[in-house]
Amino acid sequence: MSAGALTWGRRFLMCPPTHFGVLYEINPWMHAEVAVDLERARTQWDGLVAALREAGAEVEVIEQDAEVPDLVFTANAGIVSGETFVPAHFRHPERQPETERFATWFADRGATVERLPDDLSHEGAGDALPFGADTGPGAPVLLSGYRFRSDAAATTPLSVLTGAVVRPIELVDERLYHIDITFCPLDDRHALCAPLGWDRYGTAVVESLVPEPLWLTDDEALAFTANSVVVGTTVLMPHVPPRVGRQLEAWGFDPVAVDVGEFLKAGGACRCLTLALDVDLTGAG
Amino acid sequence: MTATETFALEGHIVDSLILPKVLDLVLESGSDYRLLDVAIGRTPTDPSRAVIEVTAPDDQVLATLAEQLQVQGANPLDSGQAETEPAPADGVAPVDFTATTNLVTEVRIDGRWITADRAEMDCTLVVRDDRVVTTPLHRLRRGDAVVVGSSGVRVVAPDRGRGRDGFEFMDSDISTEKPKATQLRALADRLRQARADGVEVLAVCGPVVIHTGGGPAVARLVQGGWIQRLFAGNGFATHDIESAVMGTSLGINVASGAGTEGGHSNHLRVINEVRRHGSIAAAVEAGYVPAGVMHACVTHDIPFVLGGSVRDDGPLPDTMTDVVEVADRMRDEVAGVGVALMLASTLHAIATGNVLPASVATYCIDINPSVVTKLSDRGSHQAHGIVTDVGPFLGQLADELGA
Repeated sequence: MSAGALTWGRRFLMCPPTHFGVLYEINPWMHAEVAVDLERARTQWDGLVAALREAGAEVEVIEQDAEVPDLVFTANAGIVSGETFVPAHFRHPERQPETERFATWFADRGATVERLPDDLSHEGAGDALPFGADTGPGAPVLLSGYRFRSDAAATTPLSVLTGAVVRPIELVDERLYHIDITFCPLDDRHALCAPLGWDRYGTAVVESLVPEPLWLTDDEALAFTANSVVVGTTVLMPHVPPRVGRQLEAWGFDPVAVDVGEFLKAGGACRCLTLALDVDLTGAG
Repeated sequence: MTATETFALEGHIVDSLILPKVLDLVLESGSDYRLLDVAIGRTPTDPSRAVIEVTAPDDQVLATLAEQLQVQGANPLDSGQAETEPAPADGVAPVDFTATTNLVTEVRIDGRWITADRAEMDCTLVVRDDRVVTTPLHRLRRGDAVVVGSSGVRVVAPDRGRGRDGFEFMDSDISTEKPKATQLRALADRLRQARADGVEVLAVCGPVVIHTGGGPAVARLVQGGWIQRLFAGNGFATHDIESAVMGTSLGINVASGAGTEGGHSNHLRVINEVRRHGSIAAAVEAGYVPAGVMHACVTHDIPFVLGGSVRDDGPLPDTMTDVVEVADRMRDEVAGVGVALMLASTLHAIATGNVLPASVATYCIDINPSVVTKLSDRGSHQAHGIVTDVGPFLGQLADELGA
């Protein structure tokens, strides 16, 4: 089966790292004593933008301020479905100010902003990725991670607000705290899958959903291999393990390594730095 | 004691395997479940819903499991919290106060079910620190946090232990036509069980116990360690002492049944002498009271509560004449009691029934079937009845137990 059927991933929202830094520790990768080289971070971010554009994607930009250093990780902004935007509810108080920044950005551009119930956490596309499998009449399935950052109970209102069929997957390894570090849809048959991050029920759900998974080893998973961005047949990856690269090429993909080392210090890579704006979970798109 | 909680689980719980995962978590914790309701969504985007009743071996397991289930999105169905209002004055509850039954009662505070310190009917529930204190109206103090309404309050259905004590077939009604020998053996077995379990036995005695010649048998049961508490009235203690000192009960010779010359005043003279000694214990120690039930209680350190009434003669110095104080003493003394014997007593049996938790096995031995009915009608549904002449029955019971 050849590659390149992803219906989304041509338009992204990104945030330049003008105030980026590891200022607090909310995942096992963050160490406040580790200095971020802001200039190098900016260079790497520019490199990712260039790679996305070269692959054929558009990039839109939201500006950050000093209060929200993690705004660079736009994947956590919320869930996009057509003209609807459901802003994230962050677990950690450090990131909660991001919600209104993103909600305002989307509202200013005409999106309908729908809110999750106040008492439930869900960290946006970082914990919810569509997989357009052949499981239902049109609507893609939204695989949604829960436990560390998002609540299982949030998936029901999420389904109501977006029209998506949501499959909650329990995350069990704190190092893989968002589902976008464990899963990367490549097209409607293929996906990078890191079972290290899931319990046996979640693994069984993915097995039943993804016809041809590329199972990542634990080392590959912990190197953020799944935190990649797909534009058509181009796969932008924080690094390309030779085994994974060969399999991707055999399926017709073009794996490209993009250095995002400064952002890995905060526990994020290529996927975390982008939010796809052209997702439609209702099956209409 | 097992702990039960009902959880609701909603969403895409079937294809995501969350429902089977939740059920697996329940079983892995050593708990059991019943699916009370499962509604499967008709389309892929319709959420499904399952209502799961979980029974855990104890509260601790349930609390740990509830945390795990919460991660999976399963929440307690009745997450209602108990509400409290301050008592407006000493001895006065808020208008909508929650009235207790004699069943174990749990109150939900800060998301946790807390068991009330004891079960007593017709009381209020006061939340104090992390405890729930069952409190009669007169013990309320202004400002106490009294539970109001029914939200966040539940009672635990009693485990009747069917098939254990041989009384089940007699519970349907109170009849004089039950086989007494079977009832006697079953009661003896229950008392042996109480001794083996280390729970205490309370005897509530009416004066008829003495009139019918049952006094020596009760004394033997006290001496043999089969009775650890005694509740009675002024009359029982008076006639018990009268029979020990003078051989009569209300002037009638207990052994021969014949009236005695001037016997009508015997009980008054006995009361007068005990008053002269200052207390029953002092009269026993002085040798004035040589035998009987009260003698056995004093010499075997068995606490007794004598509750007075308007028609009492004397009364004996030990008889408490403030009924509110009597009830409070009885409340204190029923702690640790697992079996109660109501022996030919109506008023004291009902008074005792009022302060007993439903978990206390209660046996009502009376020639008058209506006493058991009266107890049950007043909420002591746990009462078993044995309709028989109490004097001979107690003698046989003491013999059966080798007391």
